[in-house]
Amino acid sequence: MAEISFPLPDLGEGLIEATVLEWLVAEGEQVERNHPLVEVETTKSAVELPSPQAGKVVRVYGEPGDIIKVGEPLIVFQVPDDTAGIVGTVPQEQAPKRRVRLTANLDED
Amino acid sequence: MGRHRDQTVEGVDPHLNVRVHEAAPGTTGPHRPVILLHGFASSAKLNWEDAGWITALTQAGRRVVTVDLPGHGGSPAPEEMDAYSPSRIRADLLQLILNAHVRPLKDDDDSTGVDLIGYSLGARLAWEFGATQPELVRRIVLGGPGAHDPLADFDLPAAQRYLADGSEIADPSTAELLRMAQLVPGNDVFALLTMIEAIKTEPFIPSEAVPRMPVLLVAGERDELAQTAPELAKLAPRAELQWLPARTHANAVTSRAFKTAAIDFLAG
Repeated sequence: MAEISFPLPDLGEGLIEATVLEWLVAEGEQVERNHPLVEVETTKSAVELPSPQAGKVVRVYGEPGDIIKVGEPLIVFQVPDDTAGIVGTVPQEQAPKRRVRLTANLDED
Repeated sequence: MGRHRDQTVEGVDPHLNVRVHEAAPGTTGPHRPVILLHGFASSAKLNWEDAGWITALTQAGRRVVTVDLPGHGGSPAPEEMDAYSPSRIRADLLQLILNAHVRPLKDDDDSTGVDLIGYSLGARLAWEFGATQPELVRRIVLGGPGAHDPLADFDLPAAQRYLADGSEIADPSTAELLRMAQLVPGNDVFALLTMIEAIKTEPFIPSEAVPRMPVLLVAGERDELAQTAPELAKLAPRAELQWLPARTHANAVTSRAFKTAAIDFLAG
């Protein structure tokens, strides 16, 4: 088994840190990729970070109220050796299945 | 399926940015959609997607529809004030529901009607929409709700002076709302001020129209804008109120307890 550490990702727009609100996983827990990991709050908004990795949570950093800087360690996973070489990235948001604009076709009326 | 002919409720199409997220594969849940209404100076992305609501609801088997309010997110920011009035937004919402061919609620048919979740200004809109459309709305969840409208008390001239020459804003609520509005990149501050102007012409008077369907109110214990949530809960005949320990107006929105309560309530 190997360990992979993930830092607090860049939350965009010049945000440099976030406050931990609540961990949604516990050390020792097995999580799937995209499973909600932690709620954090920035000066802009509160966000829920999905897991960038499937694996067993070895360690989480920060209690509720603690500030973590972008790039500092957030979570460590234990994964099978054969997947450890793959460097995880934070998943992009899922694209919406369908995009609808309310458009009236006035010519038809 | 042939093309249907849509009627525009108010005669003008608002072109609001609407997104549909289907229930996650392999899940089962009621077929009626859950419509999410975001708060002032936020957007469907910030209020619902980034906060984890789309994932939570679709994983719970719900089909989710988000709408960006006018002047917010991916929706246009018209110049005319009328586009931002709460009554006009409610009409736009009705339009959207009619366009989606939602049928009036029928017992034992889980494909009829809609459920609503609104946060802050979105909660006000959901309250009013539920009160006026009882045949369409089955259940409502209100996040960070209050009986008083902080936007109606917003000091618009002070905000305009601040934007013109940086003059300090005396009213803390006005200063905080403007700070939030300016923090979000891409926010059209002038469109947001136009919305406030429109809301001042139609302030929230919750007793005027009360939703009769089951309503769940959820607010952070430290949410200063939701301290009057119990007054709202008393007005509605079938309301329950749940407080989220230690949460504020800004950070109640990601709360797992809030999501779980909302999902369970809408499944009831």
